[in-house]
This record gives sequence, C-alpha cells and structure tokens, in this order.
Amino acid sequence: MTASAGAPAHGLEVVDAGDGRMIISMGPQHPSTHGVLQVITELEGETVVRADPEIGYLHTGIEKSAENLFWTQASTVIERMDYLSPLSNACCFIMGVEQLLGITGDIPVRAQQARVLLCELHRIASHCVWLGTGGIDLGAISGFFYAFDLRERILDLTELSGGARMHPNYLRIGGLRDDLPEGFLRKLDELIAMYYPRMRELRALLQKNPILQDRMIDVGILGADDAIAWGITGPALRATGVPYDVRRAFPYSGYEQYEFDVVTRTEGDAYARFMVRLDEMDQSMRIIEQVRKKLETPGPVMIADTKFAPPPKETIALSMEALIHHFKIVSESFRVPPGDVYQAIEGPRGELGYYIVSNGDNRPWRVRTRPPSMYNLQVLKKIAVGEYIADMVVMIGSLDPVFGEVDR
Amino acid sequence: MPSSQTPPAGGTALDPTAVRPDIDDARIIRVTPAEIRATLERLKGEGFAMLLDIGGADYPGREPRFDVVYHLIALTSGARTVAAVGKPERVRVLCGVPEADPTVPTMSDLWPAADWAEREVYDLFGVHFSGHPDLRRIQMPVEWEGYPLRKDYPLRGPAREKTPRPSFALKSNVAAGTPASGRTAAALQRQIAAARGQTPKDDAK
Amino acid sequence: MAVNEMPGGQFFLAKLDDVARWAQSSSVWPLTMGLACCAIEMMTATASEYDIARFGSEVFRASPRQADLMIVSGRVAQKMAPVVRRLWEQMADPKWVISMGACASSGGVFDNYAIVQGVDTIVPVDVYVPGCPPTPDGLLYAVNLIQQQIRQGGRGGILARA
Repeated sequence: MTASAGAPAHGLEVVDAGDGRMIISMGPQHPSTHGVLQVITELEGETVVRADPEIGYLHTGIEKSAENLFWTQASTVIERMDYLSPLSNACCFIMGVEQLLGITGDIPVRAQQARVLLCELHRIASHCVWLGTGGIDLGAISGFFYAFDLRERILDLTELSGGARMHPNYLRIGGLRDDLPEGFLRKLDELIAMYYPRMRELRALLQKNPILQDRMIDVGILGADDAIAWGITGPALRATGVPYDVRRAFPYSGYEQYEFDVVTRTEGDAYARFMVRLDEMDQSMRIIEQVRKKLETPGPVMIADTKFAPPPKETIALSMEALIHHFKIVSESFRVPPGDVYQAIEGPRGELGYYIVSNGDNRPWRVRTRPPSMYNLQVLKKIAVGEYIADMVVMIGSLDPVFGEVDR
Repeated sequence: MPSSQTPPAGGTALDPTAVRPDIDDARIIRVTPAEIRATLERLKGEGFAMLLDIGGADYPGREPRFDVVYHLIALTSGARTVAAVGKPERVRVLCGVPEADPTVPTMSDLWPAADWAEREVYDLFGVHFSGHPDLRRIQMPVEWEGYPLRKDYPLRGPAREKTPRPSFALKSNVAAGTPASGRTAAALQRQIAAARGQTPKDDAK
Repeated sequence: MAVNEMPGGQFFLAKLDDVARWAQSSSVWPLTMGLACCAIEMMTATASEYDIARFGSEVFRASPRQADLMIVSGRVAQKMAPVVRRLWEQMADPKWVISMGACASSGGVFDNYAIVQGVDTIVPVDVYVPGCPPTPDGLLYAVNLIQQQIRQGGRGGILARA
C-alpha cells in the first residue's frame, strides 16, 4: 500500500491501496465527526478494514498556557478543554489544587453543594448536546431541538450564577466566587419541573424508535476486557458491564451523601451506551433534587482563610489589611506548597483527571490532563473494523468525544 | 507586575513525590527506564489491569530531566457490581528519563491505551518510546520542530517569542505605542529637546 | 432597492443587481466550520431559542462548494490552519467569512505556540464577533451585518463590529 498510514490528508497526495481497497479521509471538516476529527478509513466496498483517527486539529497548548498563568487564573483556560461541561474541568482542577494546599476539609458545605449541583447540571447539558447531535447524525433532527431547549434552561442557570452561559469561571480555589443569586433556586425548581416531561418526550422520540434501534443495536460492540485494556471509562465502560463511577469509588465534594444509581448495561454496543447516558441524565436529576433541598440552608461559600480567598468587597474600602490581601491575591496569587497530586472526577465522558505538580511557586509547574475522550476515541481503531462506513458516525457519536479535551 | 503568560524564571530540582506524604491519592513508585517495564508488568499481574494515563513532565536542572508518569488503577473486567468495584487502588509510577538518552520502552503491547498517550509524550517532550509501532507526532503537525511542553520552549513558539504583546497589537494602532514602533516616551523627550535646541539627557535611549 | 409598479399592477421593475443581492442576503448558507466552544454556540443559534433559519440560514452545508458563508467558530490550531485555508479556497464566489469569537479573531486567551493569532491571517474576514464564546445573539447580529454588507454591494465596511 502506498502512502504512509495516517499521514494527514491535507497535503495533496493521491493514495492507492492497490488491491481494490479505497482510502478515504473522513474529516477534519465533517458534519458528523463531533468536532475536528480526521478518520483515515480503509474500505473494502462498504466495510471498514482499518480506521485511523488523526487528532491534533484543535491542539491549543492549554497545559503550557496553564504553566504560565497564576493558580487563580489557570482554571480559565482549563475550563475550555471539555467545552460541553466547562465547570466540571474547573471543579476537578480546583479540587486538585485544594488538595495540594491542604484545605480540602475546610471548603464550606454550601460551596461543595453548589459544585455538585453545577457539575450535575453540566453533565445533563453535555448529554443534551450528545443526544441532539447524535440524533442529527442519524437523521433524527427533531430531537436536536428538544434537547437543546433543555440545555438552554441549564445555560440560563449557569448564566444566572456565574455570569456567562459557557465558561463562567464561577468556581474558585476555596469555594465559589460568590453565593448563588436570588431567584436561582426558583429557576432551578422550574428546570426540575420541566425536566421529566421533556425527557419523556425525548425518550418517546428516540428510545423506542425502530430506525434508531436498527442503526445502533449491535453496532460498535466493545467488550469489558477490551474496555479495560483500552483505558475506557465513563458511560462507554459502564455499557460493557463494569460499574466504575468515580463519584462512587472516590467520592468528592460530598457525593457520598447523595443517593443515585450507577447505570450499567452489558451489551456494549452503541445502543447500550445510548441507554446508559439517557438513564444517567435521570440519575443526575435525582442528585440535583437532593442537593436542591440542602441548598435551602444558607451559609458561607468561600473559606475564611484570606490567604486564598479574596476578602469581601465591602471590607476592602474599610480595612487596609483586606485591601492588601485582595491586591496580593489578584496581582500575584498565592503560593502552593511543592508536591504533586492526581485528582479525578466523573466527567460526562469518563474519569477526568488532573496530575498537578507544584514547585512552590505561584504558578503550576505542570498540569497534565487525563483526557477521558482521548482514550475513549482511541478504541475506535478497534471497534470500527468490520463495520460499515455508514456506522462510523454512529460509533463516534456513541463514544461522545470532545475535541477540546482530546487535543487540549 | 508579573503578567500572565510570562514563563517563570529558572528551573527547579523538584522531585514532586518526595515532598507530600500527607496527600494520599495513590501509591507512588519511582523507577528508572531500565526497571519500568518489569515494574509495570508486575503491577499488571497484581491486578492493576487498567492503565489510566501516561504523561510527561520536564524538570530542567534536575538529573534525570524528564519524568514519564504512569497512572494505573486496580480495575478488572470481572467486577460487575458497585460493591465489587469498591474503591480500587491507584498507583503512580514515575520514571525518571535522562536528557542525554530520553528513551523508555513502550507499554503499547501491554495496554493498547498506551499508543496515543506515548505518541503525545513524544510529540510534546521528545521522549522516545522504543518498540512503539508508530511513533510520530500526534498533536503538532508532522513537520513541526521542537518539543513544545519542554520548559526551554517559549510559550509563544520560537517564531513569535520576541514579537510585541499582546498579539493584536500588531494589527491596530496600539502597535504605534510599542517600543518596536519607535514612538516611545523617551523618543518624544528627545524630539522635544531637539526642538528646543537642548542636548538630550544621557539616560534616554 | 427601488421598486416601480407598472400600471395594471402585475409587474415591478428593479435592477438585476438589487434582486440578486436581495436573494443572496436572504439565503446565506453557512459552512459547518465548527472548531471548538464557539461551535456549540453556533449550533445553539440554529436551535429553537435563537433560530438562525428565520434569517435565511436554513441549512448549514458541509460541502464548501454549496456554502456562501464560512463561520470560523473556535480556535484555529496549527494543524487546522491549512485546512481552513483550503476550505475557503474551495468555496465558490461570492463568499463571506465571519470570525466568531475571540480565538478566531485574535487568538483569544491563547497567545501561545499552538493557536493561530486570528484567522484573518489566513482568510479575509468580513465580520468579527467578540466574546468567549459570543452568545448566539452576537452571531445572529453578525449574520445580519453580513446581510447588510451583501445588500450594500461589495464587501461593505471593513471591521464591521458585531
């Protein structure tokens, strides 16, 4: 076969596999690859013989940028990795830094509750995008509008609390930037009320839809052994039967207090992954309802230690000390004691982890992301073989990669 | 005022794992490239069936310069209930790789997950993985030169390292105020002095 | 566009240019150039709350041969830059480009080795949309500005801000 396997196809190269096989480049600009992915596919007729995903088309150098920003600033670029659930990235990074600072036990309860609430809301928002775009890939276009409308309500809440629809930078090392605003809980109640009827509609449109079932059942089958060997985590792993959920195995931010099921299936095909995510959305709403009750109780949302927490704005005009603390934190951040930590959370795609190294400076030395989407996407090399080219979009959609995270 | 996006000065002789016994997030093992293969095979046999991640880190000024960091977790496909999964043990294996010979044996035959992760460490740090089936750049274009995540690689890349910041300054009249344009306060002083027929101050450039 | 009604009321007269520009501005079909976070807000602009279809952008075409407008939504990485250029070249004239978001307009928060500092170093841009990401309202306004530029003829004013 001429031409090196997987050379980026944006140079003008004519490749010929000889022996009647065809090599096509799917992407990097493609309506259904969920982002900038290039899959160099070798086809025998309509059957995929080899699939070579080519990534890096969104490499942003976020990890290097984070090394050049203060600890307080780094979460702004880190939020932009998994852009479908930005607060999850920020939450994981911030919790890692809090471990290095040794203040994990001091984070106020209300801040932990708000973090859980926002992470679960963003999980549902992320699954809405997955559901809508996954449906479009198969031609089920109506589901897109229903799912994105649900996401709008969640983005309204994100905007209300954080100030921006996406990338609100609402979480801070030590807690939250400020308390949930007035009217937030009322809007949250409206969301909870509209969620179940909306999910019924979405399920009615998609779950039992014979076309969707035909296209997803027995497509892209992944067994549990392979999933473990390929480093798969999240819904893709739980769809093979292994109920590993970081929220249960390594509870963080108070997750041990909330009741929820770890949804698993055993078939391991695209439909199983589809069902796991749908049911997971319901479990997330279950957690949200439990957190909602706890949020009735007011409380502080930032630790009291002014070494990390900027003092309240009202005190800055009155106290010289408060002014100095505020100035120092904003202009040169605080120093984090040297050491390393690996902090993991259950993101919408799987185990999102940050390996953070500090050398005692006011900037991170190294922020290595454990990107769940990258490992989940890699298994495409295996599960695509023997499937039809038309199923490629189904498989990519069912693995749910986000390229901000894959490429960073 | 230290601004964002200026790299910190100097290297560090940090060995991160020596410093924080109070953070109990994983069992930590430090090995040399000669021992890494045997260590990971042994750990895999002990039940650490999942390789979570392979990452790199650069500590210039320390010998060995690079760390290749392996995260493993004791998760097996036989665990079918939440209780059986329990709280799996985590282990972090740090392999110190010298700058003179940055080579580590590949793990892609033990865990297929290692394939892309090792390519990324190669792409961004320049560490070679011997025995890897297809070691080529993954994030940067194939013809890119240099290893971006090394500490001696400038944040903005060698081409733009010395150009004025912020980058949009090159596009608008903000550029008029940067030293490169020549229209600085010192130049203005000289202009004024010249117009008055005075000799400019010595410390002005 | 001047419209003259003839007696009898069944014909009207206008310049061919005006009719063509009216048709073009009413059916600007974007290319699916969704790169990163801004792409999600671009998708949201097609959803029911913001609905870009009411402005004529009914379909997003995947093929550059069939699209008029390239909305560069997201950060342009080094590997992706030649792809963006190639796609722009493949689009048929007349074509317009919206640079959506801070990253596409100037590199945004990422002033580093990996990101092209402004897609206008690769393709000519008609409208820049600030924001990180801009709200879908911002994108809709940018599409409106493009429509204005089309109706005025030529490329309109440079750096028309959204």
